[in-house]
Amino acid sequence: MVPVPIASMGDIAFLLIIFFLVCSEVAKDKTNLQVTLPNSEFVKKTKTAVAARVAIDADGVIYFDGARVENSKDVEWGVRAVLASTSTDDQRHVQFKCDAALPKETFEPVMKAIAEAGGIIEAVGEKNQ
Amino acid sequence: MRKRDRREKKHRSGEIPTGSFSDIAFLLIIYFLVATTLVKVKSITADLPSGEKSSQTQSDKTPTINLKNDLIMFNDKRVDLAGLNERLSALDLPEQEADKRIILLESAKGTPYEVYFQALAAISANGGVVALVEDDK
Repeated sequence: MVPVPIASMGDIAFLLIIFFLVCSEVAKDKTNLQVTLPNSEFVKKTKTAVAARVAIDADGVIYFDGARVENSKDVEWGVRAVLASTSTDDQRHVQFKCDAALPKETFEPVMKAIAEAGGIIEAVGEKNQ
Repeated sequence: MRKRDRREKKHRSGEIPTGSFSDIAFLLIIYFLVATTLVKVKSITADLPSGEKSSQTQSDKTPTINLKNDLIMFNDKRVDLAGLNERLSALDLPEQEADKRIILLESAKGTPYEVYFQALAAISANGGVVALVEDDK
C-alpha cells in the first residue's frame, strides 16, 4: 500500500492560518447596539475605511467610537480630534448608525455635528429585500 | 544502570516530532472559521456641506424635499419614494454644476430616521448634494 505524503500538510495549514490572520480585520465596533437599521434600495457595501463610528441606540443614547457621550457637541469635538490628523477626503468618512424609529430631534443634531466637524457621513442601512 | 542508559539511547533520535503539527494547525483554522463573524456593513455616503446658509444657494429654483412624518413632498408636491427617485433622476444632477446639484432637505419635528434616510439615499444615489434646512428659532 502506497502511503499518502502528509509531510507538507502542516506547512499548508500554517500558511492558511497566516493568510486568514493577515486578511482579517478585527471589528472595531465595540458597542453591541440593538438598533433597527433603516431600509433603502440604494445602500451599497461600504468600501472606504471609516475614521470614527457614531451610533444612536433605540433609547436615543449617543455613542462615539463605542463610548457613551452626552450630546452632539461631544460628537463634534470627537470627530474634529480624529480628523485633525487626516489629509485626504478618503480619510474623512464617519460611520453613522441610528435606529430607524428615532425622531429628527434626536439624530439631526448629531448628523450636523459630524458635518460641521468635516466628516463625510456613511449612514448605515439595510438593503430592501 | 548502564544497561538502561543504553536502552534509552537506542530510542532517542535528533528529530523534533512534527507529526501532529498539521492536526494542530487545522484545529486552529477550524477554530478561526467557527469563531469569526463576517460583518457586511452597507451604507450610503452623504457629504453634508457645513457652514452658514447663503441666499445664492437657497434660491426659489433650488429643488426642495419636505418630510413630515411619513409624507414626502418634492417641490410642494406629494410623491412616494419611487416618484422622488424619478424626479431626482430627471434633474440629471451629475451633469450639473456644483451649485445646481444642491437639494434642500427640510423635515418637520418627529420625522422618523427611516424616511429621512430614504430621502438622503435617493439624493445621494442621484448625484445630489444635500443641504439641510435649519428650523427657524
